[in-house]
Amino acid sequence: MKIVIANGKHEADYIISTYNSRSNTLVVINESEEDCKYLSVRNGIPVMKGLATRETDLREAGAENADLFIALSEDDMANYVACKTAKQLLGAKRCIATVLNPKNVEVFRKLGIDSVLSSTYLLGEQIRSAASVENLINTLSLHDEKVVIMQIKITNDLYYEGKTLKDLSISKIGSVSAVTRGHKVIIPNGATQLKEGDIVLIVTTEENKEKITGLFQRKKQ
Amino acid sequence: MSVNRKSIVVGAGRLGSNIAKILSRQKDDVVLIDLNKDKLMNVEDFTGFLESGDATDMDFLEANGIKTADRAVFLTEDDNTNIFLADVCSHIYKVPEIYIKLKDSRKVKIVDPWIRCINPFDLFLDDFVRQMEGKDL
Repeated sequence: MKIVIANGKHEADYIISTYNSRSNTLVVINESEEDCKYLSVRNGIPVMKGLATRETDLREAGAENADLFIALSEDDMANYVACKTAKQLLGAKRCIATVLNPKNVEVFRKLGIDSVLSSTYLLGEQIRSAASVENLINTLSLHDEKVVIMQIKITNDLYYEGKTLKDLSISKIGSVSAVTRGHKVIIPNGATQLKEGDIVLIVTTEENKEKITGLFQRKKQ
Repeated sequence: MSVNRKSIVVGAGRLGSNIAKILSRQKDDVVLIDLNKDKLMNVEDFTGFLESGDATDMDFLEANGIKTADRAVFLTEDDNTNIFLADVCSHIYKVPEIYIKLKDSRKVKIVDPWIRCINPFDLFLDDFVRQMEGKDL
């Protein structure tokens, strides 16, 4: 795999040391002379000094046709332009940008950056999912957050406790893949009844996540 | 019925404040934005709104009416910021008319063709060549 790592110091160092093997080609570019030396000495690989937002510098570093392009600078705007350049002009297959401002996560994604990471944003999401419905609903996102797997614990105050999956009528927005009851795993059908203590596994899409959460927030009268 | 066009200008240097004045003279509703309050204080003879804040913050842009803007002009000193703002306005807020200042004209390649890029350096060069050729005549 060809990986381009643009800017960043300790983050870059960590990624380089993780992926520095014969099966990967690493291209490292950094705008700080000092960071170039640091990364080069620590990892025993060449590091080019240059601007990741400049097409000519990226080409000189050999950053064409990367499988993965990672922009780690502390300037969100520079990371955006670097990713855009890599993708549009240098044929990068996949781009990852880090951002300092957590609000930029959504914006960058909307503008076509494949993955956007913000430590503050991740922390916020963790807190939010931990706080949501008293920790009864856990979610796992796959495939660029398009597929979401939700794990929901049924408590006796929920409206759907004691009801069947047919009553839940979830089929348009997701599918119930399994119900865990104690040590038993039930492959469910419409007649399966939800009981207190069950853990329900639902596969859905990002758009429908909130709707499903809503269903399981409904309480008995 | 008032059908004033709405313009947002980011960057209140000499260029930005003069562009804002021209737009407001032609009866646009203009918001002139800069991070630096002092720059805004120095703008004279301008009848639009002055707002200090970070234009790369979507909440701030929305509070200043980006959703209904007819025209956006980005003149910050950072090319990357101008490109980002142009993309945001074009793809997210569907602003019909967008102008940006681009000091490095090589970056035009990654800007969508309907976004108008203006390079001060190229303008100077063009003018220089024109004047020099004019002198020869």
